Amino acid sequence: MTERYLVQPDLEFIKEIQSLGGETVKKCFQCATCSVVCPLSPESGPFPRKEMIAASWGLKDKLINDSDIWLCHECGDCSDKCPRGAKPGDVLSALRAMTIGHYATPQVLYKAVNDPKKLPVLIGVPAIIFAILAIFTNLFHETLSHGLPENVIAHANFISTWFVDLVFVPLSLFVVAVFAKGLTDFVKNIHENAINEGKVEIKSLELKPFLQTLIKVIPMILSHEKFTKCEANKDRSTAHMMVLFSFIGLAVVTGIFFVVLYVFGIPGPYSQINPVKILANISGVALVIGGALMIKNRLTKPDQTSAYKDWYLVGLVFGLGITGMLTQMTRLAGGEYLSYFLYYVHLIFVFNLFLFLPYSKMAHLVYRTVAITYNEYMGRK
Amino acid sequence: MAVEKKAPVSSSILVVGGGISGLTATLEAAEVGYEVFLVEKNPFLGGRVAQLNQYFPKLCPPACGLEINFRRIKDNPKIKVFTMAEIEKVDGGPGNYQVTIRIQPRYVNDNCTCCGECAKVCDTEIPNEFNFGMDRIKAAYIPHNMAFPARYVFSSDMGADEAKRCKEACKYNAVDLDMEPKILNIQVGSIIWATGWSPYDATKLDNLGFGRYQNVITNMMMERLASHNGPTSGKILRLSDDQPPKIIAFAQCAGSRDEKHLPYCSYICCMASLKQATYIRSQYPDADVYIYYIDIRTPGRRYEQFYNQLKADKKVHFVKGKVAEVNEDPSTANIILVAENTLTGEKIKQTVDMLVLATGMQPNTEKDKPIANLNMNSDGFIINDYDNSGIFAAGCANKPADVVSSNQNATGMALKAIQTLVRR
Repeated sequence: MTERYLVQPDLEFIKEIQSLGGETVKKCFQCATCSVVCPLSPESGPFPRKEMIAASWGLKDKLINDSDIWLCHECGDCSDKCPRGAKPGDVLSALRAMTIGHYATPQVLYKAVNDPKKLPVLIGVPAIIFAILAIFTNLFHETLSHGLPENVIAHANFISTWFVDLVFVPLSLFVVAVFAKGLTDFVKNIHENAINEGKVEIKSLELKPFLQTLIKVIPMILSHEKFTKCEANKDRSTAHMMVLFSFIGLAVVTGIFFVVLYVFGIPGPYSQINPVKILANISGVALVIGGALMIKNRLTKPDQTSAYKDWYLVGLVFGLGITGMLTQMTRLAGGEYLSYFLYYVHLIFVFNLFLFLPYSKMAHLVYRTVAITYNEYMGRK
Repeated sequence: MAVEKKAPVSSSILVVGGGISGLTATLEAAEVGYEVFLVEKNPFLGGRVAQLNQYFPKLCPPACGLEINFRRIKDNPKIKVFTMAEIEKVDGGPGNYQVTIRIQPRYVNDNCTCCGECAKVCDTEIPNEFNFGMDRIKAAYIPHNMAFPARYVFSSDMGADEAKRCKEACKYNAVDLDMEPKILNIQVGSIIWATGWSPYDATKLDNLGFGRYQNVITNMMMERLASHNGPTSGKILRLSDDQPPKIIAFAQCAGSRDEKHLPYCSYICCMASLKQATYIRSQYPDADVYIYYIDIRTPGRRYEQFYNQLKADKKVHFVKGKVAEVNEDPSTANIILVAENTLTGEKIKQTVDMLVLATGMQPNTEKDKPIANLNMNSDGFIINDYDNSGIFAAGCANKPADVVSSNQNATGMALKAIQTLVRR
């Protein structure tokens, strides 16, 4: 703390924090109530007080490479107790969004995801892609229909599953590549920053023990052990858990059906009593309820700032669930064209989810996991 | 309000509140020849200052200033003092205010010599408000040993039989049990509102433990503990076990500069804690004092000097970081406080014998809204309207202030009140 440090404020960075939900950042007068009341803050170098001053000084490098901001689960205890209404919780949330942005390539996609004006494009592009694919499916129904009869309501009759996978498989690979690049820099930089700030003692990072720590950390994340320590809005943890688990469930389902289609050559729709299908339905319902709870929590908690990035994500979660469930329900009810239309909308949501995983708030799934692992690895208490 | 230039109906001034600001305003106006009515809610004059152990920064006892003021009041026939009195209504405008005053019965007249015979036969005890309830007094009591007027008061908690016994015990025929609340109507040309302040209710600061843990006290309680006429005769002791504390912490900005409590800086609490650190240091040379602060506000050369003197004291430790969590060790009744030292970035968990909350000042007008044509800001302080009003707020009814500023301000307001009488 005593070494000389030349402050180089990045004024644009401050403005960006303010535009992403942290408009109150400058109200902070450094009393450090937040660092004390935070149930997750470590004893040495506690957050978020130090982040608040760095943010109002525009110290971008310090903040986007600060692993501590990912330890925060935005419970709002700090914002609740803040004597100035500076809302440190919302500022950290903005900082996380900016970190995601910083490590995202290409930048243009990050900007698009976080700009409400670009929303029509985010919807329009997949809408056009899937419309074209639907036309092709229907023009060449013979070759693309997976051998399904035309009078059965099967979504593959509307948009061929091959087409769908032709979109999503490369997309997934792209997402993995973007994350790989982002994470490599992220881990290197947070480590460097932690050493500079004297937060950690271990000087070198080894891959193998790091991965071993990751395995240890995952049950902790799944159980929401940290999240439930937050007092101010405990109910958020339930909603978050439902959504997280439903995503995991749906990922498993998608994986299994992928194998069933391509290895065993059996196309959907599958029986409702199929155990995988049951898992899919439970996950779908949990996603809808979890998403709805998230929206409700945000609407009924006026002290927590909800920026566009937050609404985009909770909207995506809820939309994904509701269109998915309705697609199935209308199919079972025999509403052929309605079901196809809902499937079409559902695909647009899925497209948004996949492509924008590394650019939207959803990327916290990856960055937070890595940052928590990092802190665990370094033994920060 | 239209300003009419006409001769004032009354050339008297009313001063509401007999604390240091009210006393000053009263004397300044009366000593240049104006008739002044001084109305005080308590049975004694002196207000908050009377509760202090010492003034800062000179560290002299409040008797210094109060005694001479009482003397001047006593000697001045222009001043009419009403204690146990409150303003019920104010009508009219500058130059001509009709004021209704309600005076509560004291049951003791001015024959009283303070011999204390009545208290001897009185059994009922009441919490001593003057000492913030830290001790109990008889229901026939003198508010404190420096009370002016020096006269006993009978609390309404006293039973009829007991009151009779007290009356019989009095050798000077000073007890008058037939006293009734009195209504008084007066006419004045201008009014000085000097109703002062109250310490912010520390039980509202739920993370600081006041009211839950005995050894968490407020700064005003510390003044009483340190005062010779206080509950411990001036010994600073822990309330849980009457033991001298060895480590004492001060939590600055307890409720002040906090949107959820008092959004403003109360101005005096930093100096008050520094001053109280000197009380502790002189009583217990081995004790350590920790002052937890956001930033120390000691404006002006003399206050800065005072601060610097304390900074040079090896036993007074300053920690930059607000106390945000307070717990009690139930076995020892010690207080465990948590703060972040923002200069080192370390979280501190400190066990102390005693924690003093530097609570701020809330204007009394916040709770007792004056029944008069006055503008108040959202915090309850009166905003002066020099152009249209003949009512002027002085001292802490106007803004948080120390004694010096209150006196200067009260002098200015006395002049304003006089101008209202003369110019119309």
